[in-house]
Amino acid sequence: MKHASHTFVLVLLFSLFALPAAILLLVGLAPGWRFPDLWPAQFSFTGIQFLIIHGDQIVSSLASSFLYSLATVFVTLGMCLTPAAVFARNRFAGKRLLEALLLTPALVPPMTFAMGLHMVFIRLSLADTVVGVVLILAMFSYPYMFRALVAGFQTLGQDYRTCARNLGAGPVAVFWQVELPLLVPAMIAGGSVVFLVAFSEYFLVFLMGGGTVPSFTGFLMPLLASSNRSLAAILTLIFLLLPIFLFFVIDGSLMRSYRKKGMV
Amino acid sequence: MSWTGNPGSSKITLGLILRLSPLMLPFVVLFCGGVFLTVCQSLGIFTPLRHTGGLVDAYAVILSDPSFFASAGFSFGVALASAAGSVTAATFLAYRVWQLPNALAGAALVYKIPLILPHIAVAFVVLIFWSQSGILSSLAWHLGLIQSMPDFPNVLYSGWGLGMILAYTLKGTPFAMLLILALLVRFDVRQIQTAAMLGASKRRIFFSIVLPRLAPAMHTSFIILFLYSFGAFDIPYILSESRPGMLSLHVFDLYFKHDLARRPEAMAILTLMFCFAVLFIIAYSRTVTHLETGVRKL
Amino acid sequence: MNKFRFMSLLLILMLPAFFTMFLPARVTGGTLIDTPFDRIEAQARGSRVNWYMYGGWTHVNTWVDTFVAKEMKQRYDIHVKRVPMDAGVFINKLLNEKAAGKTTGTIDLVWINGENFKNAKETGLLFGPFAGHLPSVRQYVDPDSITHDFGFPVDGFEAPFGRAQFVFEYDTDRTDTVPDTVAALKQWIMDNPGQFTYPQPPDFTGSAFIRHIFYAVTGGHGQYMAGWNPDLYEKNAPLLWDWLNQVKPFLWQKGRTHPKDSAFLDTLFARGEVAFSMSYHPPHAQNMIMEGSYPDTVRTFALKDGSIFNTHFTAIAFNAPNKAGAMVLADFLVSVDAQVSKFQPENWGDFPVLDMNRLTSKDRQRFETVDLGPATLTPDQLAAVAVPEIPAQYLEALEQDWKTHVLDR
Repeated sequence: MKHASHTFVLVLLFSLFALPAAILLLVGLAPGWRFPDLWPAQFSFTGIQFLIIHGDQIVSSLASSFLYSLATVFVTLGMCLTPAAVFARNRFAGKRLLEALLLTPALVPPMTFAMGLHMVFIRLSLADTVVGVVLILAMFSYPYMFRALVAGFQTLGQDYRTCARNLGAGPVAVFWQVELPLLVPAMIAGGSVVFLVAFSEYFLVFLMGGGTVPSFTGFLMPLLASSNRSLAAILTLIFLLLPIFLFFVIDGSLMRSYRKKGMV
Repeated sequence: MSWTGNPGSSKITLGLILRLSPLMLPFVVLFCGGVFLTVCQSLGIFTPLRHTGGLVDAYAVILSDPSFFASAGFSFGVALASAAGSVTAATFLAYRVWQLPNALAGAALVYKIPLILPHIAVAFVVLIFWSQSGILSSLAWHLGLIQSMPDFPNVLYSGWGLGMILAYTLKGTPFAMLLILALLVRFDVRQIQTAAMLGASKRRIFFSIVLPRLAPAMHTSFIILFLYSFGAFDIPYILSESRPGMLSLHVFDLYFKHDLARRPEAMAILTLMFCFAVLFIIAYSRTVTHLETGVRKL
Repeated sequence: MNKFRFMSLLLILMLPAFFTMFLPARVTGGTLIDTPFDRIEAQARGSRVNWYMYGGWTHVNTWVDTFVAKEMKQRYDIHVKRVPMDAGVFINKLLNEKAAGKTTGTIDLVWINGENFKNAKETGLLFGPFAGHLPSVRQYVDPDSITHDFGFPVDGFEAPFGRAQFVFEYDTDRTDTVPDTVAALKQWIMDNPGQFTYPQPPDFTGSAFIRHIFYAVTGGHGQYMAGWNPDLYEKNAPLLWDWLNQVKPFLWQKGRTHPKDSAFLDTLFARGEVAFSMSYHPPHAQNMIMEGSYPDTVRTFALKDGSIFNTHFTAIAFNAPNKAGAMVLADFLVSVDAQVSKFQPENWGDFPVLDMNRLTSKDRQRFETVDLGPATLTPDQLAAVAVPEIPAQYLEALEQDWKTHVLDR
């Protein structure tokens, strides 16, 4: 009985979230798949051919997306690290209001500030550059990092710090050698959301990058809107692979390093 | 003249401001500055072309257009339905995933797939599944439920934005699950065991013990998803119908596809959307606090 | 008091951003047009050209990324970078840059025509005149064929690239006889409810479709060629709205919604939801068959009332960082080699802009031996029904009023 209900949940999860990916693969290999066939009548590899022909473009736009998303993660980390510590440990006037204000960029439609900034970025020659893209992405995604770090600092508490200080460590050493390593899980939790938000964003990159900053979403969008669905499907799948791969690597290496230090 | 606040809280010292500045500086310059410039441009100040009309001309044009209100109402409805759908589905699924034995929990990670897919790709998936010539329609034909393509319910073009709601729900559910599961992991199982021993039904346990504990994550994800669907552009770009249009698409058209003379209108709509978002956040969090304190008093 | 200090701090922090709004715009000057073309070629050697163009056609993308990019690299050592972006959007980008006084932008060459060209030229977004300076244009193109673009004088601000004509697409497996006049089309739509639709103007193809009806129900194209006449428009437009509203209840989704663009209509057609698709590119159906998206049984036809043709062009941005490279690329695109390659349906199938009488017989033969494929009408069939495009002001008025008079009604 219990077993059956677990199976049901898993089947539900797979059909909701994994089946679409499987169907994308089929669509990718069968451009002529049409009603009412449940299984494509004919397969074709024109989509794969396109991949080979445009291989270098696909790789360069993936690499670019990957790099600016990663840069966004580090920029948000730099922005949030010390403020998160302050928010987790200090009490001051207007803290709640300030916290609420600082979270708004993730909530309000990003168009509202991005379009206003566009003119300024053009004037400052930041538009059409990677720096401009990273800045605007960081501005829109840092709240996820901020929340994760505040939570991280809170679970950390003051004990480690006090202990390390008593053992004679200076504030810098406490921060670098004790607190930072312990915060890695929180950074990764926040960083993965930031990475995904940046990696899958189309509009802001399109607006600020102006086509000169290659992005995989920018490469994908005209194809998704075109009538060549099989190609769109294949590229969407490629899109999935990189983050999945990345998270496996991070998870694995994190576990290994923790085991080494005897933390698990 | 010092920036002190209520008794009991520490002073705002220079060190504090310094440590907050990596976040405050970009927040003020880029975010507040960006919103400020949007508002300015909506009033015809700093616009790329010299604006000749009055300050609130753009607002007058927008507010006198009945299709603006239709679009706003429509965007609101789509956002509400998809956010509510996502949070409901996510709560149920997260709870069931949490109950899974460890051996199966790994397989449940598939829920993260739509989290990685960009919005445009999720819209594309919905299109493949739900169009009248789509996969579900083919399935229905094979099962003998429909005789021809037009018999399949017109999901994507019903005028209710169902296609967009489906796409946002598919994309939003895993996001809400992530937040809710994060709370569930810290949940004390003994509470449930105690309740079960005291004879509470499964339903009762879920609604009286689990749900209240999950409320914060549910509220957070609801606000985020609601406002995102309200203002985002990617999914409507693929799935919207001709009429009524989503506000974000309207702004995109005004910004990119019309001449610069209409830039203030685009900015005015953005300003109105911004105000709505802020008001919504305030009103929602007020209501939630109100409800929660009400519950606590009981 | 605290609040006041906080606010003033905010404002001071924001100030630097605003100062940029008052930076003066610099004016650019260029003497490239007086430079001999071989000097321009030498100047462009080793450079990069950013070509902004519509990105929704995979075969065109492939052609640019392979043939064009390879030849340009080999012949001129120029690296061609294709950037997918809709014409309306890059025009807007240029407008923003011009307003912000940015004298060195990112766009070199653009693929453009019609109302986008008119808007761009009128607002000074284009570099030129340069077309007359390109050797291939001078040698192979009939100057009379490129004086106007949608009724708007070209003046050498864009170089010809290809020619297109409007055709309908149908599947011989599903549809036996096709309506080949506007009147027959109306009857067909009413007899087959839910089987016909057109992309929503201002989509390029949908907008062209309603212009065909406009010509047909108001007595032909001749009266509009003299230029914009608001009175004539006011008198004739209602006839078009009547026609469209009469068929509206019989359209796909009862005319409540329209495909967003022609790609979407192609998908509906390919998946069998509607009986006809339409394209402003005669070889489009053949391309789709080759790509596997359409069945082999798809063919094309044109309306006897007239089928609109136009020329599409390339132009250079006013703030192009590499104008010399853009000119070399624009020139290469008009060369016989590029035009033949573009004409082959496995590459693209786009019609040449060259005047066949100016070619050597050997070159002419290279065009004549191209097999356009069974789905494409022959140049003679198309020429028999060809009618010119309407001046851009009519087009803009029709696109704008379609929303109020047809969609919102």
